[in-house]
Amino acid sequence: MRKTLAKYWAICRTQLVHSLSYPADLCSRSLTIALFLWIFAHLWEAAYQSAGQERIAGLSPRDTLWYLMIAEVIVLSRPRLSGAIAEGVKEGSIAYLLNRPYNFLLYQVGVGLGDSALRLAGNVLAGGAITWYLVGPPPDLGHWALVVPALAGAWAIDCCIGAMIGLLAFVAEEVSAFEWIYSKLTLILGGLLVPLDFFPVWLRDMAAHLPFAYIVYGPARAFVDPDLGRFLPLFAGQVCWLAALGGLLWLGYRRSVAHLNINGG
Amino acid sequence: MGQRRFLLALWKANLLAAMEYRGAFLSQIVGMALNNAIYFCFWLLFFDRFPSVRGWGVQEMLVLFGVAAGGFGLAVYLFGNAMRLAEVIAGGRLDYYLSLPRPALLHVLASRSVASGLGDFLYGCLSFALSGPDSVGEVLRFLLGVVLAAAVFLGFVVLVQSLAFWIGHAGLVGAQAVNALISFALYPLDLFDGTAKLVLFTLLPAAFMGAVPAEFVRSFTWEGLVQLTGAALVFLGLALAVFHRGLRRYESGSAIAVEV
Repeated sequence: MRKTLAKYWAICRTQLVHSLSYPADLCSRSLTIALFLWIFAHLWEAAYQSAGQERIAGLSPRDTLWYLMIAEVIVLSRPRLSGAIAEGVKEGSIAYLLNRPYNFLLYQVGVGLGDSALRLAGNVLAGGAITWYLVGPPPDLGHWALVVPALAGAWAIDCCIGAMIGLLAFVAEEVSAFEWIYSKLTLILGGLLVPLDFFPVWLRDMAAHLPFAYIVYGPARAFVDPDLGRFLPLFAGQVCWLAALGGLLWLGYRRSVAHLNINGG
Repeated sequence: MGQRRFLLALWKANLLAAMEYRGAFLSQIVGMALNNAIYFCFWLLFFDRFPSVRGWGVQEMLVLFGVAAGGFGLAVYLFGNAMRLAEVIAGGRLDYYLSLPRPALLHVLASRSVASGLGDFLYGCLSFALSGPDSVGEVLRFLLGVVLAAAVFLGFVVLVQSLAFWIGHAGLVGAQAVNALISFALYPLDLFDGTAKLVLFTLLPAAFMGAVPAEFVRSFTWEGLVQLTGAALVFLGLALAVFHRGLRRYESGSAIAVEV
């Protein structure tokens, strides 16, 4: 087990070192989160002014912006598996990777995490700094350490969905349309742009049970309202979705590899 | 006349090439239109909670989205290589275009179509239709607004991508600048204060891609028309000037490349 973990850790570390070679890329990505948060600060300031209320659905403007900051960090830093897997399938490089002494999907996760680690650090720093500057310190850092496993759970669910989209390249010529639609579903039903608390009740109740909410809304909302009563259902929901999506992914992967045809050399 | 026929021939060739992979082509168009429609749900949810923010509501946002998505889609579908211009310059692949008796910039820009751009364009038209235009004049203003927004966008993209003549790999800078332009273009201008507005009318002309043409579509003013036309001419002119200035610094990569 330790040996297996060491293998994927080495893959992750190699990718991390590779990412370190592109500091300009890292800085420009961090600027993106700062830009979004700056726009959101103006938008939500205008919204709260128009409503004439200091708190809406239990969230103050400061809570809302910190919520959006964490939500953006999760989405902008997440490992992007679908593109890499789809590319491997289309180009045929999957054949080369399948021969290696590692699991193809876990290899992609290792590479994705190595890529994401620096992006995560850059986004937390840039996003945290601009949010602090715009609305002041975060509400309460009492249970902030619990946000880390919540974020890990969020990324694990996202990796399962991303990998399934990538594997669709076995049956579809182009998977980018599926990626776009998934990212927009995360954006809306995950609560990336508007916290689910602001949704109409029927939609909020429905969205709260979907995996998108466990990727974005759950961890971000728990960050601004770090109550243990919030974390426990969040972790339970993440585990359930992870088991369901992980199982589906495994079945899809086995089926795809069984039908793989490799031509030429 | 000759250039128009040349452009039409390029666009036809791009369409025929895309139709070779009909499934992928159609999935990109439908997928992008659907993607935009889902994104617009954000504004539906937002205005459901806050019916009007600084004079903006769902109707105004439908027009803004229509013009911004339409302009962006039109530009990247017809001149898809604009988004890769820095890559072409840095990779020494301008040689091919420079060796032919056609305007190099026009040729390189129109040599590629981004299929999803057609999805953006169609979604833009749908968004405008949903806003409920009440006169033929409004429809004509929408079409003009889309063309002028596309011109501003194209000029801006060529400008930032042409930085590759001076700094080499400008693809990342270009992508971030375009990302910022589109992000700001999709929000009401009234959200931002004086300094930010100045930036959005000059360095990052998002106002001319979203709010200004949207205002022009909703009600005709000579001032709006002059602003939009002026911005389109200025950005296209600047793009041409900077690209040709950059060409003087261009060094061939002596690479053997096949352009299909």
